[in-house]
Amino acid sequence: MTLRAPFAAVFGAMMIALLAGCSAVSQTPSVPPKHPEALPTGRANCLECHENVSTGALKPYASFRHSRVFIDAHGTYARQGQNLCAACHAPSFCQTCHARKDELKPNVKMGDRPDRMAPHRGDYLATHRIDGRLDPGSCFRCHGNRSDAKCRQCHK
Amino acid sequence: MGRTTTSVPFGKRFLPPIVAISLLLPLLSAATAGAADLSASSTTYLRYYERDLAGGNKDTFAPLYEYLSADATNLAGAPLALHFYGWGRVDLSDPSGTGGTGKESGDLGSAWLEYAHPTGNARMKLGRFFLAEGVAVETLDGAFFKVTTPLGIGVSGYGGAPVEQSILDNTPVGGSMYGGRVFFNRSGVTEFGASYLKERGPFQGKDRELYGGDLWLRIAPPVEITAQAAYNRATRGMASQRYAVRVVPGSRFDISAGYEAYSYKDLFQTALHPVFIVPSPVIDNADKVRTIFGVLDWQPVPGLTFELSAKNIRHDNDNVAKANRGEAGIRYAFGGGKHIVGLSAAAVTADRDENEYREYRGFFTFAPGKFRLSLDALTQQYKKEIDGRKNATQAVASLGYKAASSLSLSGDLTYTQSPTVQKDYAGLLRATLELGTATGGKK
Repeated sequence: MTLRAPFAAVFGAMMIALLAGCSAVSQTPSVPPKHPEALPTGRANCLECHENVSTGALKPYASFRHSRVFIDAHGTYARQGQNLCAACHAPSFCQTCHARKDELKPNVKMGDRPDRMAPHRGDYLATHRIDGRLDPGSCFRCHGNRSDAKCRQCHK
Repeated sequence: MGRTTTSVPFGKRFLPPIVAISLLLPLLSAATAGAADLSASSTTYLRYYERDLAGGNKDTFAPLYEYLSADATNLAGAPLALHFYGWGRVDLSDPSGTGGTGKESGDLGSAWLEYAHPTGNARMKLGRFFLAEGVAVETLDGAFFKVTTPLGIGVSGYGGAPVEQSILDNTPVGGSMYGGRVFFNRSGVTEFGASYLKERGPFQGKDRELYGGDLWLRIAPPVEITAQAAYNRATRGMASQRYAVRVVPGSRFDISAGYEAYSYKDLFQTALHPVFIVPSPVIDNADKVRTIFGVLDWQPVPGLTFELSAKNIRHDNDNVAKANRGEAGIRYAFGGGKHIVGLSAAAVTADRDENEYREYRGFFTFAPGKFRLSLDALTQQYKKEIDGRKNATQAVASLGYKAASSLSLSGDLTYTQSPTVQKDYAGLLRATLELGTATGGKK
């Protein structure tokens, strides 16, 4: 019974949106589902080819330069829309780190790419005691509501 | 209110289809793709490591992992797409799983149907998907829609069952979830929104109910302000806040500073992970954290990047008190970005000795021709011993070979010495197969 109410609400809203038709939808072109050209290796810098404001996302391309600043704050942008991310990143990209019960740490999966950002490098089992005491909110974003069976060895 | 617990281990449920789809990957070709653009990625990992047991015995572990993602877009020439992502593990030696997963495990990460409207970023999703929208950062079994009107006002909504897993007994939890976001955007100037989320579930006796606000505002061409805040109605307090100003004058300089804060009582009220749940040996539910941070990324010449970051963390609880973390890094990319060398150093100073440590890291990755050679070394030095040791070191050496345009093979050797393992060696073999029928890039 608990599932019916939210499903009905969302389904109803979707139907209303469909019935409203295209006239209710902005005519600004959406972000294309796939970047039209192959991307170079390394951190993306949209400004190498693009200028001004991103189609669809409606923010300057400079905001999405994959600098350390952007990587640290990427969630702020993603929470306002994932469309631009999805043009260059595979749909499963987020779940490399934002996983539910993954057993391989991101830096193990990407052990051949030390140039990429990957949380928990090294034997993080020791250091997480300190980082967890100082800033447990940073752990919570990925681990608070998701399972990591390895945690249970100590956190029972 | 928890969902029905399945008696079938997740590995046994998801491993067969993941393996079956993997075996079908070679059939993916342009000839079969007339009605859609298809792409698939398969990465297989074989790890090998040993662990000492009491009495001088050893366990030998050889878990074999398969990670598979597949996407079919432009279905029948329409803006429809199907996406799939999942992984599975089989142990070739002693069981490596914890928490009752035994010698097999796996997970269906996502599987959803998507409609992406050509204008207004309107889209709908149906199935299991990862969602970031306002206060929601969830994996959801359900539906999602989003649409922007010609006036710049938009709305999104979602509903379904959250895909969460109790860490206590490894069973699915969480009842139902719904919410949405109303927002306004004006191209290149601003986007702000208000969002709501309600989840029925076993959250310390109460449902989860969050109200959120978010803002992106470009006050001048290189300067933007971002803000996000979440209010927990169940605990009647601000769960989290983050405010930042960022200056991006061009493609080579990026600097940001800001303030963030959260309250344990209001942020962790919804946790499923026992370390966050009170009463806990490590969590003081009355504690609040306030952080001031700054980050700089500067590329004075093409390829050379300097990174600096600093943060000051203040707790209300005197047992944790204050700490500062500073980090400096330099990296140089050359050869069209294929070769990269990097060095970094970080230091954490704190009121309490057990919270202090220093960290040094160096890495390189070279990709001459079809080969890729990488080395990554990290060492941490703790001011106070952790389990009798004051340092930890890990080095990962990797050698890769691109056997074909779609097939890459690599092997890693990892050496670790730390408070948790002593002189530990671990091996890993990796095979990545990328197949696609459409042009364009995805990472």
